[in-house]
Amino acid sequence: MPTLANLRSSFDPALLQLRARSGPMTSELVRHPADHGLGLAQTPARLAPASTTQSVCGYCSTGCSLTVHRDASGQAINLSPDPSYPVNLGMACPKGWEALTPLAAPDRLKTPLLRNKVTGQLEPVSWEIALAAFVQNFKAVQAAHGQHSLSFLSTGQIVMEEMALLGALAKFGMGMLHIDSNTRQCMATSHVAYKQSFGFDAPPFTYADFEESDALIFIGANPCIAHPIMWQRVMMNKNAPEIVVVDPRRTETAIAATLHVPLFPKSDLTLLYGLAHLLIERGAVKRDYIDAHTRNYAEFATFVAAFTAERVAAATWLPIATLHRVAEIIATKKRVSFWWTMGVNQGHESTRTAQAIINLALMTGNIGRPGTGANSITGQCNAMGSRLFGNASSLLGGYDFASADHRAHVAGILGLDPAVIPSDKSWAYDQIIDGIDAGTIKGLWVIATNTAHSWINQKRFPELRAKLDFLVVQDMYATTETAQMADLVLPAAGWGEKDGVFINSERRLGVARKVSRAPGLALSDFSIFKLVAEAWGCGELFRRWESPEAAFRLLRELTRGQPCEFTGIEGYDHLQSAGGIQWPFPEARNGELRAKSLELGASIDEPREANTQLTAQLKAPSSQLPAPSSQRRLFSDGKFYTADQRAIFHFDEPRPMPEQTDAAFPFLLNTGRGSSAQWHTGSRTNKSDVLRKLAPISLYVEINPADAARLGITANAAVSVSSRRGIASAFAVVTATVQPGQVFMPMHFEAVNCLTFPAFDPHSRQPSYKACAVQIALAKSGNEESA
Amino acid sequence: MSDPVRTLIDELIESQRRLDTPVARFAAAHAAENNASAGSGARAGLGAQLIPLSAPGPGEQYAFQVDLDSCTGCKACVSGCHSLNGLDDEETWRDVGLVYAGDSIATLARNAAPQNAELQLGSAACAAPFAQTVTTACHHCEDPACLNGCPVVAYEKDPITGIVVHLDDQCIGCSYCVLKCPYDVPKYNERLGIVRKCDMCHGRLAAGEAPACAQACPTQAISIVTVPVTTSQISNLKSQSAHPATAPSSGVDARSQISDFKSQIAANSPTSSAATALAALSGTDSAYTRPTTRYVSKNPLPASLFAADAHTLRPQHPHYALVILLVLTQIGLGLLLSSQFLAPRSQLPALSSQLLALFGLGLYATGLVASIAHLGQPLRAWRIFLGLRTSWLSREALLLGAAFPLLSAILLRSDLAQSLLAKFASPLPSLLQQALQLAPLAGLLLASLGVFCSAMIYTDTRRQFWRLPQTLGRMGGTVAIAALIPLSAPLAAVSLVAKLALELNTLRGGSPSARLQRSLLSPLVAARLVIASLILPTLFVAPAGVTVVLFALGELLERTLFFRAVDSPKMPGQPTR
Repeated sequence: MPTLANLRSSFDPALLQLRARSGPMTSELVRHPADHGLGLAQTPARLAPASTTQSVCGYCSTGCSLTVHRDASGQAINLSPDPSYPVNLGMACPKGWEALTPLAAPDRLKTPLLRNKVTGQLEPVSWEIALAAFVQNFKAVQAAHGQHSLSFLSTGQIVMEEMALLGALAKFGMGMLHIDSNTRQCMATSHVAYKQSFGFDAPPFTYADFEESDALIFIGANPCIAHPIMWQRVMMNKNAPEIVVVDPRRTETAIAATLHVPLFPKSDLTLLYGLAHLLIERGAVKRDYIDAHTRNYAEFATFVAAFTAERVAAATWLPIATLHRVAEIIATKKRVSFWWTMGVNQGHESTRTAQAIINLALMTGNIGRPGTGANSITGQCNAMGSRLFGNASSLLGGYDFASADHRAHVAGILGLDPAVIPSDKSWAYDQIIDGIDAGTIKGLWVIATNTAHSWINQKRFPELRAKLDFLVVQDMYATTETAQMADLVLPAAGWGEKDGVFINSERRLGVARKVSRAPGLALSDFSIFKLVAEAWGCGELFRRWESPEAAFRLLRELTRGQPCEFTGIEGYDHLQSAGGIQWPFPEARNGELRAKSLELGASIDEPREANTQLTAQLKAPSSQLPAPSSQRRLFSDGKFYTADQRAIFHFDEPRPMPEQTDAAFPFLLNTGRGSSAQWHTGSRTNKSDVLRKLAPISLYVEINPADAARLGITANAAVSVSSRRGIASAFAVVTATVQPGQVFMPMHFEAVNCLTFPAFDPHSRQPSYKACAVQIALAKSGNEESA
Repeated sequence: MSDPVRTLIDELIESQRRLDTPVARFAAAHAAENNASAGSGARAGLGAQLIPLSAPGPGEQYAFQVDLDSCTGCKACVSGCHSLNGLDDEETWRDVGLVYAGDSIATLARNAAPQNAELQLGSAACAAPFAQTVTTACHHCEDPACLNGCPVVAYEKDPITGIVVHLDDQCIGCSYCVLKCPYDVPKYNERLGIVRKCDMCHGRLAAGEAPACAQACPTQAISIVTVPVTTSQISNLKSQSAHPATAPSSGVDARSQISDFKSQIAANSPTSSAATALAALSGTDSAYTRPTTRYVSKNPLPASLFAADAHTLRPQHPHYALVILLVLTQIGLGLLLSSQFLAPRSQLPALSSQLLALFGLGLYATGLVASIAHLGQPLRAWRIFLGLRTSWLSREALLLGAAFPLLSAILLRSDLAQSLLAKFASPLPSLLQQALQLAPLAGLLLASLGVFCSAMIYTDTRRQFWRLPQTLGRMGGTVAIAALIPLSAPLAAVSLVAKLALELNTLRGGSPSARLQRSLLSPLVAARLVIASLILPTLFVAPAGVTVVLFALGELLERTLFFRAVDSPKMPGQPTR
């Protein structure tokens, strides 16, 4: 019963005012300045932070720092981009702004789930039972089919301490050999290309290069949408740069460019060789640089002589004038930087394509100087960490499994018997998938990725699932396509619920912090790996991996003497106070820091004043610890990581794309990022109401008006897109931004990878997501009037 | 399972739950250091460089300015606004849409030989495929439609800054501003039962901080500028709109002023072109509110822009409470009219006439009660008279409300009331008796004016589907047919057919309303027609009571369509099925 006092206290006096300019609803939104000197924007009282913590974002490889606002109990309640971080300068894309939302999603997994053999349902179980099931089933798989019948597929989304522990646990503790991660889908090509050309997987650039170029050549990259915070730096470039975008689609970035080069899909390798040829013809090559710092140029020059403008124009469908224009820009501009992303990396000859870009930078001397470089923009927040510490294709820290010395060295640092480190090569993602098909892989552990949605031609995944004896998925949600098929699902804490380090595109290590409580029994991946180790019976091997920060110190030690050395980093707080630190950052011994860095190929340059003054200012050193310059690039001395310190020209004859269009499947399907608000398979971004508002919620296909008119497809019509492998329903977006004969679909919808063709680059084994033959037709109830 | 594992599980779960409660020390030191450099830093300092240094002078106001060349569609503005302003989970005050142009084939055709393609690259005149992202929030109009329509004056236009502020504690949650705004800006909040909208972060501006969206834009595409407030702006718009795509530069920053851009794309029609933009301007277009947002670009925009969601059909909110309000007050009024004016002259027995009046009054009262259910904050509705000067909703509410007690006096004329009066009341003073005689007449007059106001409420939104012939025809038709049913079946039948013709006329053509009714809403249209076809025979064979019930059912369907099928102007959105 409401008492009178109750009524009186709940009565709103604003009700009786003629004009209620204030009252409870008004005050909900009234913004207050932060009164604690935190330098934050005004927020409503409800969201007033008691304290803040900086944390690097867990979506893409830009590596933005977010200032997480926390209440008195330490729980994160809001966030704003960190203005003091040299990467993002106070900005974030919508995914970053919404980074906390997926943590509170109602479908967060709170307990382990085990599939009940009788009912066939996933049912909640305790960690004890879950671990017992994990160990029992996986050991049974190994007993029946051999040690190597067990595999894992992991991710570029977890912190590097977790990646390293997982890789170590699987290979040194559980006897696995074939392991890989979803970085195979995005960055394997850059990894291999750099490794072969430079002698180490070393993206040479720093973000200031965006500001310092006179010409920026983007190849298969759409940073406006995919890396908006990097694009911010392009917009800060004060040199009125030429911006060339090589992309079959007229993307947001292509529209913002000074020159769009709408080449035929997958003709990029021919185009790049053609440009090399034109540059040689113009005499625009830097002979002295080539002679001093590279190898194999003469062979390359001979090879590209065949790539005449006429041949290239025919293959790329570009006007010859365009080819000359691009060559002219590269030849005449002083500081030319080349940037590539998935349009290059996801191709059937992607490694050679990436290296063709590297070759252009090398032959024109556009490397090692501010505003230059052959620069791979990375995909996931920790793809770079995975490349160093995934323990899949290279041994922890960039070492070689095949080398006994390396195995002994790594074993020494980790306190292991070198015998536990395998010397054989791991299979790549596609080979593991084929292994499942062939019956050699019988147990699979999937960590923080969604294979059933994202793997190319994933329509076969359900039938592959049936061939597995036991499938474990470790994720924040049991609602992903892959988790739904699992025998056991382990509840993982997500970004924001654990500590660790990410390495961004420009080799910058940054810390992600624990600022939110994980729901129920969910545990950090690090904790889960520790538990698995203990339950498996190999816990002893990993005693040194006491905590994420202890693991960080182990990894730091592993980098000593490697190009990626970061022994100079004290720990998480040092990283944080320095605004992240780019490798190499070797320990300073008797003021040797500078010399040592230079020896490792880093330039601690003083960048061109005006533009980077700001970032330098923002990064005034505040601690006693060694603070590096905030923007550092590699190879300023022209010394590379190969044995003779020379970069190598790699090249191969271009090959036709594996699946060509024909009369039955006359369109080329390109896939890619649909918007800045969507991340990959949407397992996190779909949890945010705001992000869901910022992108179409159903699958669409972009088609040129000419094709649409010919097929009787009107805007918004329901259509079906089919390939030889599958069919997808979508609605039509009729736009001239795609060329006739080509269609585009966003990768964030599961049906898209039912269509894609499983072609792989032979060197990186990265799938080619961006070219397959499809047909498109009006669905039966296609036009809107009968919808 | 070994004990150490069990212990470890407990340990790890325990540590997972622990959050260090950080001292603000570290972060604070960090941020303070940053703030120190904020003055010179282009990015830091909460965007102070994105707002004017001084308050607007006389004849000026603040406005959003969007540099289209810098906006590349990252949509951080939407999120930044959402997070820094503490909006509800699904609530957003900003939106980013997409416009396309160039439906000609400008890209290289598959069979185009390279030498032919050269033509296309070289000639700038050849329309390159064009797409542009457009960020929009409240336009803080010079003459805000929301403000003018609000029945309780819950909107204020700040006399100095010109910011259109919504008073959240004044709002009754009638959603009329949602219908009035041609840009789809005010949004109804279910949790609070009120509308909320962008206030240009006026509190931040006052403190020298940029609005959240401007702070959040990585490319500084959004800023606040001071713009002249001129009554002639509207005529400027009209003269420019003849050539919207090639509007000459007005010299500001050597950028072409394209304030007409918004009216053009807000028209949101599938064939939106220069011609339709002009048509929009002269018809239901939005420029009459004089939006202040400035969209600037160094390049003239191509002709024939269309919004990416221009083809999207969006059935609108059915507003069932309003459907009931409108239909029942109107049928009630019709029956009352029938009983008072027409019944005495007809052969209807007196008792039937009294029953008719009672029935009519009952429907009318139910309609009024339903209107309360429409409000998110009914307790605040007593302020409804405040908007009388500009709001048709205020006028409707007052007239329909005031008519009710007067109409109730009809009951006093009934035999029962008369006998009761005779028994218990001494003879009433003659003045009062006269007043009681006149009251129903006055009530009918006020209620009829109220129905006219009902029609004007919707017509005043300037939506095509709700133009006066439609709204008045439908609503007046409901009153007239209800009045005729008890009296003359043939006349009622003719009126009904005429009204159906009026309704069906809206199914023709390519307007959103026509397409909606032909596609997504076709079941509703069919149901409406089935009911109508049942009424026609019923009129001649069944008792009037049955016909009225059937008629009411048909009208409820018609009115649901009236709300669901209305065209809904908005700023461009993203592709939507």
